[in-house]
Amino acid sequence: MCGIAGRILSSSGNVGHDLVELMDAQVHRGADSTGFAVYGPALETGYIVRAMGFDRRQLSADLEDFLAQSREFGADFLSEPSWDESASKHYTVRMTISDPSDLARWTQQVDTLSDRLEVQSLGRSLEIIKDVGGAREVSEKHGVHHMKGSHGLGHARLATESDVRPNASHPFWARPFPDVAIVHNGQITDYYTWRDKLERQGYRFLTYNDSELIAVWVSDQMQQGLTMEQALKKSIRAIDGVFTYMIAQPDSIGFAKDKFAMKPLVVTDINHEISAATEEQAVRRICHDEVDIINYDGPALTGIWSIPGFEQRLAA
Amino acid sequence: MSDTPATTSSTADLHSDSTETLIEVGQRPIREVHADIQAAAQAGHAIVVRDTLSRHNLGVGLPPNCRIRFEGSVGYYCGGLNTGATIQIDRNAGWGLGESMSTGHITVNGYAGMSAGATMSAGTIHIKGDAGPRCGVGMKGGHIIVEGKLGYQSGFMSHGGKIIALGGAGESCADALWEGEVWVAGDIGNLGVDAVITEPTAEQVAEVDAILAPLGLVDSARNWRRIVAGQRLWYFESRDANAWLMI
Repeated sequence: MCGIAGRILSSSGNVGHDLVELMDAQVHRGADSTGFAVYGPALETGYIVRAMGFDRRQLSADLEDFLAQSREFGADFLSEPSWDESASKHYTVRMTISDPSDLARWTQQVDTLSDRLEVQSLGRSLEIIKDVGGAREVSEKHGVHHMKGSHGLGHARLATESDVRPNASHPFWARPFPDVAIVHNGQITDYYTWRDKLERQGYRFLTYNDSELIAVWVSDQMQQGLTMEQALKKSIRAIDGVFTYMIAQPDSIGFAKDKFAMKPLVVTDINHEISAATEEQAVRRICHDEVDIINYDGPALTGIWSIPGFEQRLAA
Repeated sequence: MSDTPATTSSTADLHSDSTETLIEVGQRPIREVHADIQAAAQAGHAIVVRDTLSRHNLGVGLPPNCRIRFEGSVGYYCGGLNTGATIQIDRNAGWGLGESMSTGHITVNGYAGMSAGATMSAGTIHIKGDAGPRCGVGMKGGHIIVEGKLGYQSGFMSHGGKIIALGGAGESCADALWEGEVWVAGDIGNLGVDAVITEPTAEQVAEVDAILAPLGLVDSARNWRRIVAGQRLWYFESRDANAWLMI
């Protein structure tokens, strides 16, 4: 049992705050770790990198090595990295880098450091923050409730298939596709079959979490020419298991549900402002009054919500 | 959002023959709300619950003769383990409405989420809107009446009792049914494994009408489909292996 959430605002606003509320209301669904994917104001050039280091004492050396490897692809820091000042052994760091010459190869290169420093998201606007603990705890440690943006995802994890570690929680970045993130409630039963196929195509996975696989699977299908809608529909037939997942990009959030209708998804749509969650009581944190609830309870459902104003922002 | 404890009012509008207790939910701990509800029920008051915010476990384990109305939407397991209370929900109910109830009467004005009436053994659940997937899953007895459409895989492994849908049913209807019955007026998406449509006798229709009569829902023009088990899954036969694999 996990809890997932999505939020879309009509214009850039307090999306971090809303995601924390949605996840705090679902903390009982999985209190071992919580994560957020926030789409903030997009950089015109360069990428925001969110990463986690596993030994705080090595922080300086980790960042130096990360920079050295990035420079091999012509990428440099655009601003001074910042990190959390907590007492935990692991640390999380936010960096901005100029565009690497080859993003896929850069990802493979910096992933050689992943036993020390693991890149958790990369995008013009995407930032993934995750850690052990409940929504409030993670938010207070990493300032999620202050984060501004247009949309985002949240996840509360009850580990069933792999370890409880700060980097094993959701959301997952669709490595190496920039600005793609996923949250997932359920289990994939043909995980190793798909992982093997995708690895032979050259993709790399940093965890044994089945949700990381869905993110890459959907992105790979889209790279092969499918629209997001087609990829979501295909996933219901192609991937075996029970799932409700949401996948976010800069212009939209899509969802898909398995053919057995096992995992719920509850949505409110108020003038194109979307709140989506596993449980209705979570969306009521955002919409306090009685509202029209859309229950995506049936089997084999997909949907896509576009981000209001995304086209205008691109043109601007 | 309220921290107001239960208040007792003499101006009862729901049950004019008795005292009414008003209980606010908001973000109060659900145990406190529950204690207030139980105390009011023990005192024999009619109960109105406000600001429910779709929260879970409201009105679980209510005693016989309790009369309670939830003014808004409720979350998971509302009316679960009911032992004879009359429960009204003004809007929608979440997962597991009336789960394992042994008797009593639950009315939902709106939609009831997944697994309404799961494993119930007796009593009545009346859903005025649609019902979600696996309505009446594993039910042992009692009646579920759905005025709208019955969700996917409803009646799954139901052992007894009747599910009566007046607005059609979704896919995999009455999947792997045991001794329960699913009655559908209107379209059916498709039938589940080992579900068989039978022509009801006049006596059987009269039995269903007797269930619908107190709810004012009798309509002699209905074209009923009565769905029961084909009994292929009652005993394992190797020739039926494919049917088993479809469950």
